[in-house]
Formats: sequence, C-alpha cells, structure tokens
Amino acid sequence: MDINYYEQSIFIFISSGHSILKITNLKKMDGGKLENAIFISVLLFIYKIIFPLNETITYLLINEILIFLSLFAWLRYVSQFVNPKLSRPLSLVINSGILNALIFFIISVTSWLFSESGNSVTNSNIVYVLFSTLIVFILIGALTYIFSVYKNLCFHRQKKNPKFYFNTMVVLFIIVALRASVISLKETESNLYYLDFSNFLFVVLYTTTITFIFMNSLRVAWIAFLNKKQKISLLIISIVLSILSWINFSLIYSSDFEIIRNFSPALEQIFSLTMIYGGIYFTVIFFITLFHLPTAEVIDRKSEELTSVKDLSKLMSQVFDFDELSETITNTTIKVSNSDAAWIIINKGNDIDLHAIEGIGIVDANKISKFLISSNMLSNTEVVVNNLTNINKKYTLPNSVKNIVSATLTVHNKNKGFLFAARKTNRIYEEEDSKPVGTFADFAAVALENAKLLEESLEKERLEKELDLAREVQYKILPQKNPDCKNLEIASLFIPAFEVGGDYYDFFEIDENRLAVIIADVSGKGIEAAFIMAHVKGIFSSLSKQYLNSKELLVAANSILKNNLSKKSFVTAIYGIFDFEKCTFNFSRGGHSPLIYYSKNKVNRLIPTVIGLGLDYSNKFENTLKELEIKLNNNDIIVLFTDGINESTNEDMQEFGYNRLEEVIKNNAHLSVDEISNEIMKNVTTFVKNSSQHDDITLVLLKWKSHKNLKGEN
Amino acid sequence: MADFDVGKHGVGPVSVLNVKGYLDAHTAPELENVFNNLIENKQYKVVVNFNDLQYISSAGLGVFMAYVETMRENNGDIKFCNLKDDVYNIFDLLGFPLLYEFYKDEKEAINKFNQADKD
Repeated sequence: MDINYYEQSIFIFISSGHSILKITNLKKMDGGKLENAIFISVLLFIYKIIFPLNETITYLLINEILIFLSLFAWLRYVSQFVNPKLSRPLSLVINSGILNALIFFIISVTSWLFSESGNSVTNSNIVYVLFSTLIVFILIGALTYIFSVYKNLCFHRQKKNPKFYFNTMVVLFIIVALRASVISLKETESNLYYLDFSNFLFVVLYTTTITFIFMNSLRVAWIAFLNKKQKISLLIISIVLSILSWINFSLIYSSDFEIIRNFSPALEQIFSLTMIYGGIYFTVIFFITLFHLPTAEVIDRKSEELTSVKDLSKLMSQVFDFDELSETITNTTIKVSNSDAAWIIINKGNDIDLHAIEGIGIVDANKISKFLISSNMLSNTEVVVNNLTNINKKYTLPNSVKNIVSATLTVHNKNKGFLFAARKTNRIYEEEDSKPVGTFADFAAVALENAKLLEESLEKERLEKELDLAREVQYKILPQKNPDCKNLEIASLFIPAFEVGGDYYDFFEIDENRLAVIIADVSGKGIEAAFIMAHVKGIFSSLSKQYLNSKELLVAANSILKNNLSKKSFVTAIYGIFDFEKCTFNFSRGGHSPLIYYSKNKVNRLIPTVIGLGLDYSNKFENTLKELEIKLNNNDIIVLFTDGINESTNEDMQEFGYNRLEEVIKNNAHLSVDEISNEIMKNVTTFVKNSSQHDDITLVLLKWKSHKNLKGEN
Repeated sequence: MADFDVGKHGVGPVSVLNVKGYLDAHTAPELENVFNNLIENKQYKVVVNFNDLQYISSAGLGVFMAYVETMRENNGDIKFCNLKDDVYNIFDLLGFPLLYEFYKDEKEAINKFNQADKD
C-alpha cells in the first residue's frame, strides 16, 4: 500500500511535469527565462503538495535541488529588470529596501498568526501546506530580487572584475545551506540545529562565508559617483536597511518562524545568509558614505564642470548666436567657480562692449572692467585673480565686488576680450575655482569666432543677393531692342562683369527726324551704382524732350546730379543727337571715354574738354563744356563705349587701349555694324586671354546711311 | 586680389600720402580711413603722390571728391603729383585738372601750399 502510494505519487509528479514542459515549450518568450522559472516553481509546488514533509534524505535532497533550481531560475529572470536600473543605483537600493520591509511584514504577520493558533495546526495539514508554500514563493521572489540587486551593485563601476569573490561566496552559501539541510534530519528537536558551533569544520566554513560576504560588501565604487544630495539620502537609507536586514535575520533565526524551515532548511540558510549580507553591506555603505560626505562637494563641482563643458561643446555645434552662447557661458561660470557674478567684455577699438552680464549691474561691471584694464591688472595669457577689498574705496569702485577672476578670450593669438567672474563675499578664489574660468573663456573665444564667421558668411550671402538685384535693375534699365531708324544702322552690346559696374546706354526718339543716344558710366559698383543708373535714366529721358541741344542738356543734367549724388559719386556720359534732316550729329561729353568717329578711311578720337557730371560744385562745368557737331557722310561710323573695353587687361597687365580699338574699327569699317562689334569683341577676348573681366563692357555702334534717307524720300 | 597701400608722412604742415598699387571700389575704404584720420587731426593740407599707383577706378576717384570740399573749407586742399601718363589720362578724361591742382613732383606741390600760406 505504501509502495503503491509512492508509485502513484511519483507517476503523477512526473506526468504533470511533462505536461508543463510541453506548455512552456510552446511559448518561448524572452529566452524562456520566465517560463523556466514558472516551470520549476510549479514543479516545486506539486512536489510539495505530494511530499509535504521532508522525511527521508532522498526526498529532502530532491526538495533542496528544486529549491536551488527555482532560486537560480528566478534570479536569472529578475536580473534582467535590475540591470537597466544600474544607472540609478539609489533607486535599486530603495527597491531592495521596500522588499526587505515586505519580508519583515510577512514574517511578523505569519509568525503572529501561527503563534496564535498554537501548535494545533499540524505540519501536514493541507491548508498549512498551501499557505506556507504561498508565503515561501513570495519570499523567494523578494529574496531573488534583493540578491540580484546586491550582486549588480557589487559589480557596478568596479574596475577589477569581482566575479571570483562573488561566485565563491555563492558556492559557500550553497554548501552552508546543504549542510544545514542534512543536519536538520538528525537534530529536528533542537531549534538551533543549523548553528552547531561545536563542530570545528562548520565554524571554519561559516566564518569563511562571512569573510567573503564582508569582502564583497566592500565593492561600493558606485558611491563615489553619487552627488552630495544622493549621498545624504543613501546615508539615511543605508542605516535603515542595515537595521532592517539584521531584524529580518533575527526573525528568521528565531524559533517562532518555522514556515521556511519546514519548507526547506537550505532555503532558510540562504535567506539568513542574504540578510547577513544585507546587514553587513549596508553597514559598510553607511560608513563609506559617511567618509565620502566631506569631499562630496568637490566631486560634485568637478563633475558639474565636466558636464557643463560637455553641454557647452554640444551647444557650440548647434547655436551660433554669440549672445545666446555667452549667456550660457557666464551662467555656468558662476555655477562652476562658485561666483556671484560673471560677464564678458569684447574689445572694440579703444572701448569695450559688455555681454551676458549676470549677477551684477551693467554700470558696475563696466566700471570694474575699465579699472582693471587701465590699471594693467589683466593678463593676455593666464587667469588672474584679484582682490579688490582694499582698493575699492580708493578708486571709488562698486563696493559689492570683493574678489574677481579674469581670463582672456584669445582668438588666433589675439586678445579679443575677457571673461570675468566675481564674488561679493570675502571668500578668496582658490585655484580649483579660478581655473574653470579659463576653460570657459576659451569657450567664449570660440563662440566669438564662430559668430564672426557666421556674420561674414551672412554678409557674403547678402552681397550676393544685392548683386543679383543690382544686375536685375541694370537689365531692366537698358533698352530691350535697338530703335529702327531710317538713316542709321545700330548695333549695341552689353557684357556684364561679375560685379555690376553701372554701365548705361539708351536711345530716345525725340521726333520723326531726331534720335538721341546716350552712353554713361556711373562711378562705383553694386547696388548703389545700379540705383544711380536708374536715376540717370530718369533724368536723361525727361531732359531729352526739353533740350534739343546736347550741351544744354548736359548742363541741366549736371545741375540735377550734383545736388542728388553723394559726394564721392559721379557720372560720365556722352549725349548726342542725330538730325536726319540736317545730316548732323551734335554731341557733348561729360567726362566720358572718347567718342570714336570713323569717316573717309580716317579714325578720329574726339575728346572735347569737360568735367564729369556731378563732380563740380561751382559753375565750371557749364563754362568749360564744349559741344561738337559733325556733318555726317554715308557710311560714317560713330562708336560709343565704356572704359570696360579700353581697360580690358591681359595677363601682363597691359590694357587693350584706344589704339587697338581704333585699329579694329578701321580694318573692319566696310562691314555691317553687327560684324564690326563682333570683331571688336573678338579682338578684346583674344587680347585678354585668360584674365577675368573686371568691369562691364558696353559698346554702341552707329553707321550713317545717307541712301536710306533717299530711299525713304522716294 | 591686387594690393593697395597708403604711406603717410608730414612735411611741415603738409601731409603727403603715397598711394601704392590698385585703388578701386574694394581698396577705397582704406584711403577713406586715412582721410578721416587727417580730418580728425585737423590736417587739411594734403599732397597725394601717385608715383607707385598702378590703377585707379571711378570709386578711387570718388574718395578725393568726397574730401576735397572739407579740406578747402578749412583753408587746405588736396593736390596731386607724380602721376603716370595713363593714370593722368583717367583724371583728364573726367576733367579733374579743371578742379584740382596737378604737379610733376612732390616738392612743387608742397611749395605751393607754403607759398599760399605766405600770401
């Protein structure tokens, strides 16, 4: 009957284990850690229900092996939650504290419950078995989490791998636990069966275990990385936890609490050893934290300096606005150097500019900075500490600032300004406080340089936009097509340089028999030149209707321009009027390049004396201006151009000049005006070769055709 | 980029500017600075020596126009000397000789100032 019962039980146990294995095999999540843990726990649970009492050594050993396996499985599972939290060790400590408190609570309540009911509840009672198993599973959960926390903290931030010591300790735990379990069979009467100090071997084993616990407890490198505030909280938490661990240990140790002992003597041993570990560990933490506390502030500041340097470098790569950066720089300077005020000055000629003033008024900051500069109390190479307490009164400096640190902002070996940090207390700057000011000054220097570079690139972009706009204005001002004239063949050419030069030409059809032509060059370049050009077009197009004489017109244009142009601007122009009836060309030159007149195989360079438009403030212009009138013959050519042609320069710095131009005209005079203009440009291009074009090139050619007129009359 | 440089020295009450290289829209501000300095120091008698000048653009000419009035109002002037032919031609085309005094050499220009003072 007995054998039958056991056979049945074993069969049920194995088959149920089999079915659970099948279920868990179906779902393989997170590497099966949770499944393994649940599987072993269920196995343990079923085993416990079938064999509630550890009567023989075989049953006990299977029991203990299942206990160890489930502890191991849960440890593996829990550890994946503990590990990611290592960056916040304090929260891990608090978690383990909460679980310690939970253990305390459970043990107290259950031992109170069972002492109430006395010994009436037998160990084999099914209710008792279920209840105790539940309690044990909760305790196993808490225990594995706590143990995992200790293990992870022990390994955290450790330079040498403490694996050996820790693993040895775990092995010792297991040996102590197994021994307790074996002995429990023999000495069930004694409450203290597991602490048999009369046995020498046991004493050695136990003290070795405690020694290893102690050695592992010394692995507390992570404390150094806490800030002062965290250290203070750790101090309080560790003392509470240490006490809690010792209480828990003594509760398990006490005779009142038998649940775990009955469940598994080995588990009880592991439990009490873990509590001893906790007790020792938190006592050690308490003292080490206590010793760390005085230096906590220094370490805090160092780490703050480090993080602010890191933050600043990050900020530098993202923000280019100097004001924004300099404010961050002065703020961090105040924090890191323990100052009350900080500001930056930038040299501006003989004066200074103040930036990012924090913790002090601008007037005071200005006064102090200027005093330090004028009294040579600053250095262009190193950080200087000055105490102003005694000289404040003498130089009527603001009373508030007692100590001041200054560091140079150096860009490309040139001093660009200073970073100041000031204290309003009598506390003198020590080296560790003044040194960071130098670091932040370097940052400020880089920020300054960045801002300058950015400004330059923005300026460049602005100039390019301006250039485009100027070019657009120029194109709109120039005539879209040449007028169709009965006596004139007209060709015009405009080749812009990279930078707008201010060239302008135009035709005005005054009436049936008269056509006016103008070529002009505005001084300067860019947008200013473009707008003056627009102005000039307006002036000439309106004057062309009023004045039928080129001299009168230029005099009128000059008087308008000299009042409207800035002092350094002027306009050169040639204005001429063709009269188709009289066959004449009447023109005047206002400081412009010569007019080239080709007639009867001869090239003439016509330069009537005059002053440029807008140059003269007296009436010299009117008095000196001369007009010329040419009687035109068939095929006579008039060439108007801007200095872009004759000043075209080759690689040897030679100019194209007038002579070459006249030569080309003379040689090609028989061609059409378009062909002549092409020839001129061909020659200019061959001449300059690879040199770039500096100025706009404008060319207007007019060929007189008498026969056209005759045709028209016919 | 072509370079430009201004050398300055005083001969009695007259300031002599030696302009070198290329005077165009890009280098004109340098010369403007020199003139601003002269006016700040109340030195209104200026002789500009063009001996080492390679090129002058319209913007370069504009600098003299911008300051000549101030100089003349303060009993001074801007006089030019040692111009090479091609540089002089540019001035000539614009009619500068009608408005400014040009001299062959520096001494002559300086003497002109001193003479005017005696008169």
